[in-house]
Amino acid sequence: MTAAREAPVSEWVTIPDMYRDPFPIFQRMRAEAAVHWVPSVNRYMVVTYDECHTAEMDGETFSADETGSLMKRSMGHSMLRKDDPEHAPERAAWQPPLRPGAIKTVWREVFEANTERYLDRLADAGDAADLIWDFAAPLAAENLRSILGFVNATQEDLQRWSQTMIDATGNYADDPVVWEKGRRSSEEVDRAIDELLPYYAAHPDASLISGLVNMPGGERLPIEAIRANLKMTIGGGLNEPRDVIGTAAWALLENPDQLGRVLQDPALWPVAFDEAIRWIAPIGMYPRETTRDVELGGVRLPAGSRLGIVVLSANRDERVFEYAERFDIAREKKPHLAFGGGAHYCAGAWVAKSSVAQVALPRLFERFEGLEIDGDRETSAGGWVFRGMLKLPVTWQRERKGAAA
Amino acid sequence: MKITYGLGDRGTREVDVEAGTSIMRAAITNSVPGIVGECGGQAMCATCHVYVRDEHLDALPPISDDEEEMLDCTVAPRDERRSRLGCQLAAGVAFDEIVVDVPSAQV
Repeated sequence: MTAAREAPVSEWVTIPDMYRDPFPIFQRMRAEAAVHWVPSVNRYMVVTYDECHTAEMDGETFSADETGSLMKRSMGHSMLRKDDPEHAPERAAWQPPLRPGAIKTVWREVFEANTERYLDRLADAGDAADLIWDFAAPLAAENLRSILGFVNATQEDLQRWSQTMIDATGNYADDPVVWEKGRRSSEEVDRAIDELLPYYAAHPDASLISGLVNMPGGERLPIEAIRANLKMTIGGGLNEPRDVIGTAAWALLENPDQLGRVLQDPALWPVAFDEAIRWIAPIGMYPRETTRDVELGGVRLPAGSRLGIVVLSANRDERVFEYAERFDIAREKKPHLAFGGGAHYCAGAWVAKSSVAQVALPRLFERFEGLEIDGDRETSAGGWVFRGMLKLPVTWQRERKGAAA
Repeated sequence: MKITYGLGDRGTREVDVEAGTSIMRAAITNSVPGIVGECGGQAMCATCHVYVRDEHLDALPPISDDEEEMLDCTVAPRDERRSRLGCQLAAGVAFDEIVVDVPSAQV
């Protein structure tokens, strides 16, 4: 092993710059070192593919149980911030309704109905239509509400809960207003759960909360684990499908030749979905903490180092992906890191593939013929810890009602 | 204990393993090409698909419901007899020595 060096201190990396456009910054960081100390973020940032992959596959060295986690403060201690073996029973309880079998028999038709409903809303928005706020966001929230089983809340509640708790999780500036909004949402979620536990004991169905109430063998997870994990799922299960719908639609509308190929061959929808999350991973960075002195990518990391695993950068590592900056559905298929990996591999991956790649995107383009970006209004993307479209105004030539296959 | 990975026209790779190590984990640790193992062994991603050589099939534990479901989601075609998930087969439990073929694609 060659002598490890200290991480370069990258003072030039700033949060506002990364929020606006992180990709040129990450490109320069990857060229300089796999791991940087970034003072503005107050942690090491791991920016190359191999090193991100190494960290996520080795939970013993790179712990998810971060000291001083703001996520624990805003949502409670969920499985996302636990290591195995503590993580495993919570994960096992979460998984059954999210598996391909349940999706096929239960959720697929729910996704179809929800998608029709919010395509209607997009149509009704007419000249002011925005693909994110009239379609992707309410649809993602409605799908999540259905799967979780929040029959006592609206999709608007889910959107508000999700955003305010995520804002609290990222409240490094310690803004009291942000904490207060997050706390209020957290309490609303607790009250909704308190109502639902007896309800689902009496009315079991296929929803996730019903599954938690009626676990085989009659045991239940502790109430703190149920609450924290449901809040984590509300925070982590809404913006990601919303953002991949937006990113994929934007990429295809900007690349009409590729869109044409997908419309010719609907088997390419999953390919376009996968390339969209490779190109712009909705979760851009997640935290880890070293449990011992370790060398990563030639950089020395002492025990207790706080890391950011930057999959938004890893997925554009030119050592792995040719012309990584391009959206290209014809590129060689390779595993990307958008769903994470190892013990914390996205539990909602199959839900996303079905609800977005098999339903939302195909139905959107079937329904609106000649869909295009409205050049008279502003289109914008933003974010680096989470990245997605902020505004995606659209117009279309013709609406085909009832065109759904 | 030993796992041999058949890599088609790239020959074979032999890896010595300790009891408890799965076919998926041994491949990741030793950089055996063609096995991804995205979910780290939770029978959730179907990217550690392998074809077990005939002579080892009888000794294997049965396919669980979760593994069965994932085997229907593999990218390379499922072989009704030989397809298994590498994460569900561990040395000392499912085999002492085993030969598996790595499929052409996992993603």
